[in-house]
Amino acid sequence: EDLYEAESANKEVIDKRKRQLDEWLAWREKVEKQLREERAKEGLPEDSREETWAGEEEGDTVIE
Amino acid sequence: MRPILLQGHERSITQIKYNRDGDLLFSTAKDHVVCAWYSVNGERLGTYQGHQGALWTVDVNPTTTLLATGAADNTIRLWEVKTGRCLKTWDFPTAVKRVEFSDDGTLLLGVTEMRMGYLGTVVVFPINPDIEATQAAEPLFTITMSGSKATVAAWSYLNKYIITGHEDGSVGQYDGKSGELIQDVQAHEPDFLITDLQMAPDRTYFITASKDKTAKILSVDNLKVLKTYVTDTPLNTATITAKKDFVILGGGQEARDVTTTSSRQGKFEARFYHKIFESEIGRVKGHFGPLNTVACHPKGVGYASGGEDGYVRVHHFDKPYFDFMFEVEKMASAQRQLQ
Repeated sequence: EDLYEAESANKEVIDKRKRQLDEWLAWREKVEKQLREERAKEGLPEDSREETWAGEEEGDTVIE
Repeated sequence: MRPILLQGHERSITQIKYNRDGDLLFSTAKDHVVCAWYSVNGERLGTYQGHQGALWTVDVNPTTTLLATGAADNTIRLWEVKTGRCLKTWDFPTAVKRVEFSDDGTLLLGVTEMRMGYLGTVVVFPINPDIEATQAAEPLFTITMSGSKATVAAWSYLNKYIITGHEDGSVGQYDGKSGELIQDVQAHEPDFLITDLQMAPDRTYFITASKDKTAKILSVDNLKVLKTYVTDTPLNTATITAKKDFVILGGGQEARDVTTTSSRQGKFEARFYHKIFESEIGRVKGHFGPLNTVACHPKGVGYASGGEDGYVRVHHFDKPYFDFMFEVEKMASAQRQLQ
């Protein structure tokens, strides 16, 4: 029973985080799209700052 | 995460800023001197001398050619980064608490203090990127705060809005071209000072730190509170990390402000929270007094903190930092790779 309780509590936390992550990613997608459009409208290049930096060191492995 | 200790200031640090490439770090302190450092090894590049009072704030333009500073001597000064030459001094009736260049470097805002007979203002100057050019003497416009004074301010993406943080815990949104108030919200507890306001890398959202012991993330477009980070100490500073979804918070109570010594323990640490899940991940010790300012390296490879103790500590993140992910993030990332 303790195990069951712990697991369901755990599941609640995980579900909440899943929701938070989905909401955040959806919001970011919307805002980034809007920013790209507004920059294009003003004749500005898409901000390339982050692209030029990407790939310098990126770790995809996971530890927890 | 072995820090580099930058010793060069004699008084408490008030603000630190990385340049856009992250190779340089600028610091201001109450000792009247501005310092420039190489962020990779902590070597001092130089100082900028001329202010006659405590320095409150510093910012560097996107091309790392111009530096702006604001001080208790009631001036904003513009400096040539490379030579340390003072290019322009703007005088005000009161101290300058915050300066910030717009994302494109064409505008500079300054937050002036409220003092007897003078209301707090936000001034906006046009900036000519040419070092040899004569800079405008007068601001493009001035926002005068009729209510609670602004303590901090920042530019949104595309210079669309000026966002202000106030003494009474409210956040304001002003038109970036006219200076007209669009809206304000009571983002933090009433009458708890907003101590810091820093934009996300793309300036579509920002983080505020408050004496009410919380930090919050708000959207610049509608000032909606998206995230809240709850701590156990008054906060002086907050920053959003590039690359990883973290925020770094700093604060702490001065010993003289605390009645019991035990409650002082562990208050002078930089706190890492997960930006999306709002939960604390870890703390970094080191300072002997409250943290007054934290800044994240623009490429997300490290961060720096400045303390009431007069030290700047520069940290380079190790591999475990980049590897760290919550279970939910791991799953989401695995799912994305499958698609």
